[in-house]
Amino acid sequence: MALLVDKLRPRTLDALSYHPELSDRLRSLARSGDFPHLLVYGPSGAGKKTRVIATLKELYGPGVEKIKIDARVFQTTSNRKLEFNIVSSVYHLEITPADVGTYDRVVVQELLKEVAQTQQVDLGAKQRFKVVVINEADHLTRDAQAALRRTMEKYSPNLRLILLANSTSNIIAPIRSRTLLVRVAAPTESDICSALHLAGKKEGWTESEVLNKRIAKESGRNLRRALLMFESIYAQNEKVTDKTLIPPPDWEALVTLTADEILAERSPARLLHVRARLYDLLTHCIPPTTILKTLTFKLVARVDDALKSDVIKWSAFYEHRIKLGSKVIFHLEAFVAKFMRIYESYLMGMDF
Amino acid sequence: MDIRNFFGGKPSQSSSDAPAKPAAKKEDSSATRKRRSRKVVDDSDDDEDVAPVKAPATKAKPKSQPKPEEAKEEATTSSEYFASSKKKARPAKTIEKAQPDKANTVAESPKPKKTAEEPATKGRNTTRGSTKQATKIVEDENLGADDIFATEYGKAGKGEDAYVAGDDSDEDDGFEMLEVRPAAAAAKRIQKKQSSRNDDDDVVMEDLPKIPASKARTGRKRKSEALIDEDEDSDHQELKKETKKAAPKAKAATSPAAKKQKATPKNAKKEDKPESKELQDIFDSIPTIEAPEPPQGEPKKFKFGAQQSRDPAVSGTKEMPVGQENCLAGLSFVFTGVLESLGREEGAQLVKKYGGKVVGAPSSKTSYVVLGGDAGPKKLETIAKHKIKTINEDGLFELIRRLPANGGDGKAAEKYAEKLKADEAKVRAMAAEIDAEEKKREAEKRKTAAISQGPKTTANASQTPPSSQVISSSDLWTTKYAPTSTSMICGNKTAVEKVQTWLRNWHANAQADFKKGGKDGSGIYRAVIIHGPPGIGKTTAAHLVAKLEGYDIVETNASDTRSKKLVESSTLGVLDTTSLQGYFAGQGKQVESGKKKLVLIMDEVDGMSAGDRGGVGAVAAIVKKSKIPIILICNERKLPKMKPFDFITYDVPFRRPTAEQIRARLSTICFREGLKIPPPVLDGLIEGTHADIRQVINMLSTARLDQKGLNYEEGKQMSKSWEKHLILKPWDIVGKILSAQMFSPSSTSTLNDKVELYFNDHEFSYLMLQENYLRTKPALAGKYQGKEQRLKSLELMDNAASSISDGDLVDRMIHGTQQQWSLMPTHAIFSFVRPASFQYGNMSERPAFTSWLGNNSKHGKLSRYVKELQGHMRLRTTGNRDEIRQQYMPLLQEKVVRRMMDEGKDCVDSVIDLMDSYYLTREDFDSMVELGVGPMDESKVKLETQTKATFTRLYNSRSHPMPFMKASNVIAPKGKKEMPDIEDAIEASDGEEVVEDVKNEDEEVLDLKKDKYVSLPKKKKAPAKSKKTKKADDDDEEEEKPKKARKSRAKAKA
Repeated sequence: MALLVDKLRPRTLDALSYHPELSDRLRSLARSGDFPHLLVYGPSGAGKKTRVIATLKELYGPGVEKIKIDARVFQTTSNRKLEFNIVSSVYHLEITPADVGTYDRVVVQELLKEVAQTQQVDLGAKQRFKVVVINEADHLTRDAQAALRRTMEKYSPNLRLILLANSTSNIIAPIRSRTLLVRVAAPTESDICSALHLAGKKEGWTESEVLNKRIAKESGRNLRRALLMFESIYAQNEKVTDKTLIPPPDWEALVTLTADEILAERSPARLLHVRARLYDLLTHCIPPTTILKTLTFKLVARVDDALKSDVIKWSAFYEHRIKLGSKVIFHLEAFVAKFMRIYESYLMGMDF
Repeated sequence: MDIRNFFGGKPSQSSSDAPAKPAAKKEDSSATRKRRSRKVVDDSDDDEDVAPVKAPATKAKPKSQPKPEEAKEEATTSSEYFASSKKKARPAKTIEKAQPDKANTVAESPKPKKTAEEPATKGRNTTRGSTKQATKIVEDENLGADDIFATEYGKAGKGEDAYVAGDDSDEDDGFEMLEVRPAAAAAKRIQKKQSSRNDDDDVVMEDLPKIPASKARTGRKRKSEALIDEDEDSDHQELKKETKKAAPKAKAATSPAAKKQKATPKNAKKEDKPESKELQDIFDSIPTIEAPEPPQGEPKKFKFGAQQSRDPAVSGTKEMPVGQENCLAGLSFVFTGVLESLGREEGAQLVKKYGGKVVGAPSSKTSYVVLGGDAGPKKLETIAKHKIKTINEDGLFELIRRLPANGGDGKAAEKYAEKLKADEAKVRAMAAEIDAEEKKREAEKRKTAAISQGPKTTANASQTPPSSQVISSSDLWTTKYAPTSTSMICGNKTAVEKVQTWLRNWHANAQADFKKGGKDGSGIYRAVIIHGPPGIGKTTAAHLVAKLEGYDIVETNASDTRSKKLVESSTLGVLDTTSLQGYFAGQGKQVESGKKKLVLIMDEVDGMSAGDRGGVGAVAAIVKKSKIPIILICNERKLPKMKPFDFITYDVPFRRPTAEQIRARLSTICFREGLKIPPPVLDGLIEGTHADIRQVINMLSTARLDQKGLNYEEGKQMSKSWEKHLILKPWDIVGKILSAQMFSPSSTSTLNDKVELYFNDHEFSYLMLQENYLRTKPALAGKYQGKEQRLKSLELMDNAASSISDGDLVDRMIHGTQQQWSLMPTHAIFSFVRPASFQYGNMSERPAFTSWLGNNSKHGKLSRYVKELQGHMRLRTTGNRDEIRQQYMPLLQEKVVRRMMDEGKDCVDSVIDLMDSYYLTREDFDSMVELGVGPMDESKVKLETQTKATFTRLYNSRSHPMPFMKASNVIAPKGKKEMPDIEDAIEASDGEEVVEDVKNEDEEVLDLKKDKYVSLPKKKKAPAKSKKTKKADDDDEEEEKPKKARKSRAKAKA
């Protein structure tokens, strides 16, 4: 009785409901016998991983679905022990090197070599190579990506890589040139609507067309999110109508509250208060970029048009700094301070 | 010069020359008066001629000149000095006492006046209970630093004035709290008073002190009174109205003074007063302010951190005055409240620089209280009680600007000079003492030398110790001037005496087996521990006391290794022995059979460090059974490692001596060494070193090398360069950098100083600043009002915040991959100094500790939770950690936590089902609760205890799917070759058989044992595990263990 989103996940390329041409291409790739390294990228909730798993199934058959998790311990040069989880089947490994932060290079080097240097022993296997799926490839450090480069060529008889990323911007060019780029676009809203409709029908829920559209819109074309929201709404409400409120996630509710507070009062004391809120969000593992982005859109929606471009500009400015710096709270706070200042001086119609 | 001369300052020399003249003239028209007074001035002295110009002339005067006139002046001064000193001692009686003195020197005229005044005041006393008034008069006189009668007369008025004001506020709270009396008005009033003295006596008196207006005002005064009179009247009326309530009182009080007024000028002239009128002018012209009434009723609750907020509101807006050297000599100041532009520190510096004294709390001896806003109620009370003159910061500046060097010939200055002289005499005496002693030693040395050379026995070096013992010029000054008697020890007299008594009684106490405490309770201790900061003479005192009590000294200090063993073995020989030094005296020395007592001095006990393992314990053990007295010396008594000494030693704390206690000794040294250092400079040095005598002496010794004297600035610089560097705590750092003084234009701290603050603790300082920069009231926004202020403060806030953001980028370059440590100063500027430069101002509360650290570690903890959660859910979900947190979490919380909150225990079963389907454990449930924010915040999640209990029970009783196992092997980056992980795949491929494998294979057992999940109740696995653990011993660690996937339920997915 898992959640809908996992229960209804398509398992084969044929079951995938949107981007049929992409599914076709993947299928032909899998059947060609010359499977390339892939760099699959697209926004969150677009179905990258689902597609990759379906492709793997196409490659190896149902064996890839028998997966387990290994917890491996790696030792860094500084003798620190890193715990690292590997999801694996007989035919493939799935790793998230970003889990170990800056030590991802160690993992990539050790693990990939280990896998690549061993040939497939199972003679019944459809393919001679193993596939290593690297999640969050865009979070790999430069070092780790550089470590991948040579491995990809040298051990290609035994190893194929599938990199999953949200965007290719963080992937170094040598890797991009060694992989086949596969873009998985976010589903359109109507795609989402039909997926929701399908889910609703399977569950036997009475659904509302309008609500589905609203969910699709609200989810930001993120199918996972849409499905989770969909389920969340049905979990909270006995009867669902067109007007049913879509409950925001807890963190978003807090960001909204923070935005309200910022707009209500602009003062150093309020900034102190906002800082506490931001800390709260950050400690609860909401990424700073998400916070900044959500906050910005909440704020922008409520300020005068003349200010909007300014707010966006500063938001982008500090978002960049979050990436450049190390203590994100400083930049978030600076953004709020900046906003308070420009908002106040706009309200007063004067400038210092 | 002008009227003021008649009332206020008298020409110093006039006393003898023109006794009665001005008195007669007083009632004359102003014009004549002026001329007269000038004449008087002319008569008096050449010096006085320059009187209007003030400074240069007077500067020269007080310095002793060999002229006969001067001598005369001196005489009177001293008489006055004594008179006033008597008064000072006993304010209530002084008037009578002082009178005879005066009477001797002067005509009788003052007497009747005085007496007349006294009954009057007494009468008042009975009716009004205004004893204060009388004392006030006297006080003011003393403080006024002027001719006694003149001041008395003048100041009496003033005192009354203040008194009235005080009374007034008594009755009418909040009346004109800090009114600064306009000098011009005051001046006018005087004239008015003269014309209408009879009918308006009280008023006249009240205003009298104000006569000496600033020079600018004199021109006005020259106008005929008639003209101004009406003006004055109305002016005065106003004032009267203001002080309505107090008026009757004032009247009564002032009437006697008014009587006095008639006589005074005469007295003043007759009296041999050395005062210069311009000095009096200055004193009187300083705009005084009224001290606000101390708040009545309940004492204000002490606000924590209020002390820190004592920073000026608009600091640095005023120009620092430049005055004559030592011009505040003899005056003592008290600072209270928040001054307009001066920081407390700066104010104190300023006063000290010009030779004044800064006292912490006001007393009757205080010359001026420099009052700022929000003064302490206690101080205000004292001010009201003693009627101390209160001035504001401008008044202080004015004083500094106008007072002549060395305080001119003011009374306080004279006193000061007297005191200096007395001090000097003392210094000379002490120097002579030292000289004598040195000579004695010299003689002794010569004698012993002669002896050793005479009979040419073994000319043993060791037998002629004098050469090393006798102080020679090559000795360090600290040795040279080491005290030779208890009286020469600076400060800590009682402490030294305590030690001495203890040592003296030690053998008696020993006989009593340390059972009797004795008078001071020291009798039960075998050892004494002296503790205190460095350089205040602990070792010196210990040695001296031992010497004086006739003990021979065995000393160990940090230069000896003092481990447990060594302490035991080395002291064993000492502890129950007697000294033989008495029996084998050196050549030429008397054999003293009585000298067989030993004392063990262990210096620097707290210096026992790693090398002296067990040393402290050993010493403590020795102390418990010692047969000789032991003196232990340390700096820090409270250290944990000093704990063994608790209860077994007699604690004698040594405190830092005060500047007064050291000064005499230091001046002696300076005198002997031919160094000319004025006392304020000496005080500065003492203060700069925190009363470290040793250091000051060393500094003097250094200064002697190339200079003959030091001035204030040099002294300051020197003590700064010798400053012991102490590292500030993060709280102090942020308090300092955000304090208003730091950035005020008058601040002397350079950019480097501010950066230096950062480096006091470079890891914390910027975090602390970031935490606290929003808690200030920015001084820069202080000059705006309302909306503008709000905008300004937002602007400052924004600037500071973006600067901190800049700083973080630099921080990344330092601590990131680049490790550009040379950027530290840049980081200091961006993240610390610059934000503070915007946001400095009063802190409304105590600086808070940075919350970044706590939040960071919390973030670490919670992201571990998320990681764990994601790890567990991974087989089911495709999302990464952020997606799990942001997208799954809300729904899971809804479906798990919220549901249990709402539905209670009924839903527990299905909740566990859901959790199992995602391989979530009981801990994950707690993590989930903890991960909620906003509406799902942990604090808002309230599960019924019953629900929770049911949940826990049910969860434990069921079996749960396990998605993975933990590997026990560590993959080292290089070195050992490991077997490839491929085994995994093989084994996992037939996942179904894994369970059986566990039972069959020995090697796998260890995996199970180490797996934290094994401890979870497992129907199937539990027996297997217990069986296998027995065999676990023979397992080979090196070999890689294949991991098992136990997916009893996980299989459901496939």
